[in-house]
Parts: sequence; C-alpha cells; structure tokens
Amino acid sequence: MSGPPEVIALDDVSVCYRLAKQRIPSLKEYAIHWMKGALAYEQLWALQEVSLSVAPGESVGIVGRNGAGKSTLLKVISRVLKPTRGSADVGGSVAPILELGTGFDHELTGYENIYLNALLLGHTRKEIDEKVDSIIEFSGLEEFILSPVRNYSSGMLARLGFAIATAWVPDVLILDEVLSVGDARFLRRCEAQMQRFQTEGSTLLLASHSVEAVRENCERAIWLERGRVEADGPSGDVLDQYMRFSESG
Amino acid sequence: MIRLFRYRDLIWTLVARDLKVRYRRSAIGFLWTMLQPLLMMVVLTAVFSTLFRFDVPNYPVYALAGIMFWNFFSQSITASMNSLRGNAQLFTKVPVPKEVFPIATVIAGVINLLLALVPLFAILGLTGHPIRPSILFLPVAILLASLFTLGAGLLLSPLAVFFHDIVETVGVLLTLFMYLTPIFYPMSIVPERFVWAVRFNPIRSVLEVFRDPIYYGKIPPASHLTVAIVFTALAVAVGAAAFRKSTDRIPFYV
Repeated sequence: MSGPPEVIALDDVSVCYRLAKQRIPSLKEYAIHWMKGALAYEQLWALQEVSLSVAPGESVGIVGRNGAGKSTLLKVISRVLKPTRGSADVGGSVAPILELGTGFDHELTGYENIYLNALLLGHTRKEIDEKVDSIIEFSGLEEFILSPVRNYSSGMLARLGFAIATAWVPDVLILDEVLSVGDARFLRRCEAQMQRFQTEGSTLLLASHSVEAVRENCERAIWLERGRVEADGPSGDVLDQYMRFSESG
Repeated sequence: MIRLFRYRDLIWTLVARDLKVRYRRSAIGFLWTMLQPLLMMVVLTAVFSTLFRFDVPNYPVYALAGIMFWNFFSQSITASMNSLRGNAQLFTKVPVPKEVFPIATVIAGVINLLLALVPLFAILGLTGHPIRPSILFLPVAILLASLFTLGAGLLLSPLAVFFHDIVETVGVLLTLFMYLTPIFYPMSIVPERFVWAVRFNPIRSVLEVFRDPIYYGKIPPASHLTVAIVFTALAVAVGAAAFRKSTDRIPFYV
C-alpha cells in the first residue's frame, strides 16, 4: 500500500496576530470600541501566503531571522495554531517540541511530567507505562527524575522533552531550536535518533538559527523572511543564499 | 466527544494534579474540603438562630446542603475561568483539545463535593435527620449540578481568556447570585415582589433538585426536575457551542 504523496500540505497559509498593546483587554473598552465601530486592531501577519508540501521521509530545515515566522510555521504544522487564512493538512501523528519546557507543568516532577506530556501528545497511560523506563534512560536524568522540573536546566528540559516526543516513532517530528541547548553527547544521541526515524519513514522539520545544524540534518531547507517563503530547495543552495543575505544585511 | 474519550487518561491526570496542587501546602490537606462547609454551617447556624431567626426545622442540614452546592458551583466556575489561562504552557506547545482543561476542573470540583458528603452524612446522623430511600436520587442531582456547572465553565473559560475583566465581573455576579439563591435562607422569607427573581434563577432550580433528597427526603417534583433539566441542557448547549466557536482563537490570546 502506498502512502499519501505528501504528509504536510500548506495551501496559502497566513497567520495574523493582533499586537499585544492593541489587544482590547477589558469588556468595557471592547463595548465602547464595538459601538463606535472602531474595532480595528494593529495586525501582525506572522505568515503570509505560505504554500508548501512535504513528502513522507523528507527532512526539512527552516531558517530565517528572529521574527521571520519559523516558530509560527511550526505551530501551524503542529496543529497548535489554526491558520487565519488558507488550509493546513498534516497527516498522521505529530511529535512537536516547540521551545523549551514543552508541555510541562513546572511544579510536577520529571516523572509526573513524562505522563502529563505524553498524555497531551495523545498517548494512553498504558502506552506510557511501557515506555517510561526507556524515556528516563534516554534522557539521562535518572538522578533528577523525582525532582520538580522547575529545578531543571534548559538543557535538561530539552533532553526530557526530546526523550518523550521520540519514544514513539512519529509521522512528523518537529524540533524548534531544541538542539541548540543540549550538550555534545546528547546532541549526538538526538541526531542518531533522528536518522533512525528517517529510515523508518518519519518526516523531520527542524527550525534553527544554526545553519550547520540544518546542513547536517536536512536535505531540504526553507528560508523564511518576514513571514514569506524566500527560498525553498536543496539545503546546500538555500543555506548559501541565506548566508549571503545575512552577511550582506 | 469521541475525541475527548481518547483523552480520558489525560483528564484524570489533570484532575489528580488539580487536587494535589490545591492541598500541597496545607497541613491537613483534603480534610479542609470536609471541614470548611462544617465550619460555615456552624457560623450560619449561630448567626441565623440568634440574630435573624428563620422558621427552618433542623437548620444546620438545610444550610449545609446549600453551602456544599454553592461551594461546588462557585469554586468550579472560578477555577474554570483560570483553567485555560493557567494551562497555556500546555496547549500552546502540544495540540490537544482545550476542553479537557475546564472539564478536568469541574471533575475535581465534583470530587470535592463527594468528599463533603462525608460530613453531611455525619450531621444527618448527629441531628437525627431522617434518611429516606429518596437519597438514592442524589447521584442524579449531582450529575445535573455537574453538567450545569460544566456548561457555565465552558462558556466562561474562553471569555476569561479574551477579556480579563470577566474574572472580576463574575466574582461580583457570584456574590449577587449567592443572595438570589436560597442557600442559607428559606424561600418563605423572600418578599413577594422579589419572588420572581429567585424563582427564575436557574441556579436555584438546580440547587433545589440537589437539596430535596437530602433535606426534605423526597425526589424532586416532576415540574422542578423538568425546569432543572431544561436549564442544564441549555447551559451545556450554550457552553459547548461557545467553546467550539472560540477554541481556535484561544492560543492567540493567552
């Protein structure tokens, strides 16, 4: 049986944030503005008319400056944000690691957070029971697993998040700046894990400031600039263009 | 609904966390849930048997049933309004149906309500209040109260994300409704010209269905039950519709 031709299909996706200072926080002000017919917000389009498709098993790096829309794009693909316009179809299971401390309750212990986080990802308690030991082992946090995660360093949080998200082979693995905080040894284990997933047909999406991380792990790269796709193609070419742009600007 | 069933383990984990967090820093922990309504009952009984006298036989039981219901309702509503804002760290990082947060909050409230049944039955025994077979209707009454509260929580939790003032506004409204609902006073003292305000208060209809089997030892009359069921169905329908309509916008505001 052949799979679908694409695991991620974004069609003309735009995402609009209302700027925080323009957001109307009180009911009274809202009513006043509404009656005046002046409910105009200052809009920030974090993504504009982004169309792209990703085939199963592809590894795609996303580069761009701060605020270019990388995290927003990954949130749309993770199904955390619904696009303001356009459509986003993502097939199969998604394991997103968006920023640090992803889906953790900082008052709970590492052990409790393994359950909480994996349940949020849609796994059942029984599935987690089977994996919890290997998650702890992979994270290398045996000594700290019964401490509240508020005491964890950012590297430890990243290790725990990665260990949970990759305990099950996902159809799409999404990493947002996660690799930048782990130590060298953990980084090697992550990369080995990602390569194993690739051979099993998982799709990888990796956003990073580090051009090197994308070059090493991704065959394809997408360069975002002000919410639009500036370039999309083989990672060598796109990264060269991006670096030339960064150095000139 | 089917989607939520898949997340049942998550809901239970959130309930356990709610209860754990609530009692973590308290020395006697969940005993507070049982002690607090009892202490309130003592205060109300002292006040209303000396300062203002009502003609309510076995007033402590009447008041305790009312307090239990009101604590459940008002605490669940307040906690629901914080459930989305407080869990933003979770649902902005992982795709999860956001209904699980208010649902877990209300379930935690139900568990507290069930715990408070222990002192209630103790007081029923101590005061020699007759317990009739109609007490078996109580689970139905609690289910109605839970669904009614869930409906209100589903409506208010996204509103609290969009408009922060809602939390304070609802706090004031809860105080108003506490007086518009015959929690600690009997219907008979309500002045003629205000009776309509109490009678058409949806919260009161659900309260009476809860208190009838406990205090009066009767199954609520069909007419009262119908009104309570209609209000509950309405609350759930409105709450669920409002939540569904706003769910995609929530991550942009937290």
